[in-house]
Formats: sequence, C-alpha cells, structure tokens
Amino acid sequence: MNAVDLARLQFALTTSFHFLFVLLTLGLVTLLVVMQTRFTITGAPVHERMTRFWGRIYVINYALGIVTGIVMEFQFGLNWSGLATYAGDVFGAPLALETLIAFFLESTFLGLWIFGWGKLHRWLHLALLYLTALTAFASAFWIMAANGFLQHPVGYRVDGNVLRLDDFGALLTNPAFTSALVHVVFAAITAGGVFLTGVSAYHFIKRTPEADFFRRSLRMGVVTTALATPALIGAGFAQFPVIERYQPGKSDAAQWIGAPLGFMILIGMGLTLISWLTLPLLIRDAVIRMRFPLYLMVIGIPFPFAAAVFGWMFREIGRQPWLVYGLLRTEDAVSHVDASQILLSLVVFTTLFVLLACVDWALIARAVRRGPDVAPAPVSPLVVTL
Amino acid sequence: MEALWLTVLGVLTAGYFALAGFDYGTGLLLPFRRREVALRRMNPFFLGNEVWLVAAVGVLFAAFPRLEGELLSGAHSTFTLVLAGLVLFMAAVQLRLWWWLVFTGALMVSAGWGLFLAHLLEAPWPVALVMPVLFAVHGWVFQARLWKVFPVTAALCAAPIPLAFSSVDVTGLMAHPDTLGLLAWVAIPVIPLVVVLQWSIVALSSR
Repeated sequence: MNAVDLARLQFALTTSFHFLFVLLTLGLVTLLVVMQTRFTITGAPVHERMTRFWGRIYVINYALGIVTGIVMEFQFGLNWSGLATYAGDVFGAPLALETLIAFFLESTFLGLWIFGWGKLHRWLHLALLYLTALTAFASAFWIMAANGFLQHPVGYRVDGNVLRLDDFGALLTNPAFTSALVHVVFAAITAGGVFLTGVSAYHFIKRTPEADFFRRSLRMGVVTTALATPALIGAGFAQFPVIERYQPGKSDAAQWIGAPLGFMILIGMGLTLISWLTLPLLIRDAVIRMRFPLYLMVIGIPFPFAAAVFGWMFREIGRQPWLVYGLLRTEDAVSHVDASQILLSLVVFTTLFVLLACVDWALIARAVRRGPDVAPAPVSPLVVTL
Repeated sequence: MEALWLTVLGVLTAGYFALAGFDYGTGLLLPFRRREVALRRMNPFFLGNEVWLVAAVGVLFAAFPRLEGELLSGAHSTFTLVLAGLVLFMAAVQLRLWWWLVFTGALMVSAGWGLFLAHLLEAPWPVALVMPVLFAVHGWVFQARLWKVFPVTAALCAAPIPLAFSSVDVTGLMAHPDTLGLLAWVAIPVIPLVVVLQWSIVALSSR
C-alpha cells in the first residue's frame, strides 16, 4: 500500500471509531435532557435517578470519545496537509468554529454540569445540560457543514492556486449539508433510543428489582426510536435527489459501494418496523411479560452503530477520487510524508482505538450491571470506576 | 490581522501548556507521591485543561491553513508520540485505569513536546528533556499548592514552544482576511467565556 492508501485507511478507521462515540454521546444527551427536565419540573426521585444512571454512562462515553476526537483533528494536518493548503480558507472556517464554539465550550459546560451536581440551583444545573446538548449539536452542525463542502463545494472562489471564502451563508444552505445534518441527528437519537431499550431489556432479563425505573427507561427508548426512525429515513431518502444532481457518479465509485448502502437502509427500515410494532405492546407491559422480545432488544443495540458506519462508507467512498468534489483529488492532498511514518501511526492509533472501544464497552457494561444507585453518588466517571 | 491571530494562537497554546503542564507533571511524579491524593487534586481541572489544545489546533488550521499542514506533517512521528501519549494519559486518568499507564502517557506526551521543541529550534535531541523537566516542576508546585510560585512555573511551561514558534515566518501562510474577520467574531469572545466557566468549575469543586 502506498501513502495515499494508508492515509485513507487511517482516516476511515479514525473517523469510524470516533463516530461510534459521537453517536451515543448525541443520542444520550438528548434523552438526558428529557429526563432531567422531568426531574426539575416534578421533583420525582425516579427521574433524578434516571438522569444519574444514564448520565454516568453518557459521561464515560464522552470521556473516551474526546480522545478519539483529538486524534481526528490532528489527522488533517498530519496526513492531509494538501487539503489545508488548498481549501483551508473555506473548509477551515466551519472546522475551527466547531472546535471553538462546540467542543471548547461543550466540555466546559459538561465539566460544570458534572461538578455542579447537587451544588447548583436545579434550574441552573438543568440549563447547563441544555447548553451541553446545544453545543454538542452545534458540533454536529459545523462538522456536517465542513463535510458538505467536501461533497459539494459552494461559497468559494478560485484565487491563484487556492480557494477563498466567498459566501459563508452558502456553506450553511448547501444542499449536501442540510439533509445530511438532519439524517445524522436522527441517527444519533435512534442510537440513543435503541441503547436505552436494549439496556433496560437486559435488566428485565436479569429480573431486576428496579421494575419501575427500567419500565420507564424501556418505554422512553421504544417511543424515541419509533419517533426518530421515520425522520431518519425521510432525511436519508431526501439525499438521493441531491446526490443525483451534484454527484451523479456516486453509486459507481466502487463496485461494492451499494452493499453498505443496502445494509444501512435495511437496518433503518427494520428498526422503524420493529419499534412501531412494539409500541402497542407497551400497554400493560405486554412486551416485558412476553420476555422473548427482550432478547431481541439486547441484540439490537449494535445495529444503529453498524448502520451509521455503513452510511459514512457510502458517503465518503462514493466521493472518490475527489477529496473536494471536482476540485481537489484525494491523491493530491496527501502530505509529503514517508509511507512508513503513516503506517506507524496507523498501527499505533488503530491498536489504541480498538483498546479504547473495548474499555468503553467494558466500563459501560459495568455501569449497566451495577444498575441505578440506591444511595446518591457523584456522576463523574472520575469516581465511578474507583 | 496577523498580530491579532498570532496573539490568539499564542494565548491558546500558552494556556494549554500552562494548564495541561501540571497534569503531565502530576503524571510524571506519580511514582513518588501518594497517587490517589495526587490524582484527586487534578480532577476538577483535567477536562478543562486538555481542551485548550483542541482549540489551538482549530485556530491553527483555520487562520494559518498553509502553515498547519507543514508544521504537523513535518514532525509526523513526533506527533504520533504526543497523540498516542495523550490517548493513554486521558483515558487512564479519567477512568482510573492503572497508575503506571497515567505515568507512561504523561511521559510520552512530555517527551513528544520536548522533541517538537527540539525540532522547531533545530536543536540536538537532549533539548527535548526541557519539557518533561518543566512539567514535572510545574506538577510538583501544583501538588504542593505553592500558589505564589505557580504563575512562574506556568509561564516557564508555556513559554518555550510559542517562543520557538515565533521564529517561523507566517507571511503568506495566513488565511484570507475575509475568513479571518468571520472567525474573529467567534474566537475572541469565546476565550474569556471559557476562562470564566473553567474558573467556576474549580471554584465549585472546592466548595
């Protein structure tokens, strides 16, 4: 493999790992907002315990996701210096806005939320979670705007041998951005819903004494999935006309490119169908008493994550051989670095990310098995594993 | 415009080294201190400290697009070391994995920044030892709560890399004024806001 292939493989692996964390972070923070809002309004302890239990899982996942995000950010400069040189004036703007508005602020709000638990006025504490969620979605907004530019460059002018930013507004109304953003947001909410459902089902399989707690969580998960999936699929299909118009060769970029797309659609349709079939079974907890659907719910947890990776494969591989569609070829953007150096970093980061994903899974599984605390404990992951 | 963005970049970079420096120092000193106490003291600062790096690289990319790629890819293996160290360090600290992993991560990050300093100065490799030593001293000052000396060691950690960087000529490597003007509206208010918020985290956790 040459430097281009190695750099591409590394980008694909880093992005996929990073996105698995992102998906759960965005999905869970949305559901946490609902839980903590209900707690703040009603003052009912069950909502506080739900916020705490699911919040702990969210924070573990965030803590590890941040690490993959840092590697992600450096990778542009390390392996793809040609992108910054040629299109940095345009592509860099949304990317920098993401790091400043979204990431820089998001972690700070989350830190305040963690350390402010029980110390701040409850409405102020709730406001911090809203700000964390808002900046998390702002992150998705700017990243998709940057990615939308790569898919269908707009708002630029050519100045000598570089691109200049001409119309920032055009970046934000880019058709390759808007429908994809909605698609990604609902994919994350679906992942959160399926995760909540699966984990709650696991506790029912284990005959949990916390029936009320997990009944509420399971219902919330199923209803979320049922509401999010139609929007997810709608926003997915809304992208086909855009692709047809701006990237007509997308489906021919590689012979097998249809396979990931097909799997993704299949998973999306499947989740929609199953969640709507489950809705009536929520009445009088029929679905819990039947028991066998509980096993399916646990098995279902990885599916939204797999679908998301398939979706990205179609979007990104389908853009080839272009990095910035029609303007900059992938092979021209790779850094002037020895293939051996890229190989070294590829091996190092892939190993670390596989370990991180395993640690994330193990720690979440441990938090899940422990179940909700009876006695209040701090939400921070800095304490949870002690 | 040039001076403004060099200042923003300088503030973010200096902020990263001054803050994360004592995290790495704490990690480096773990074999010699009461580990639980040392790590607990770092808790409220940790998440806030490391994000300064992310903000600095974001600004580097957008404001100096023709510098960022050259700078990072020119020291590819050094950054592989820094990043691998960061991954280990952050995961190990936040999740209380094994203490020696915290130590190893801190050692890799500080040695990596040292090598980057040597690379910027085109100096022989022993110069790389400067950063681990400075971080260790800064970490010790933080752990011993010598708040009067703290600003001095913070400045010592923050200074070398921005100073070495100032020898780089950025003329012609910056983004177009249109891009920079747009970013200024965001970058300039965000920095003081984050400082205030991070300060409140520390104030809250000591309550």
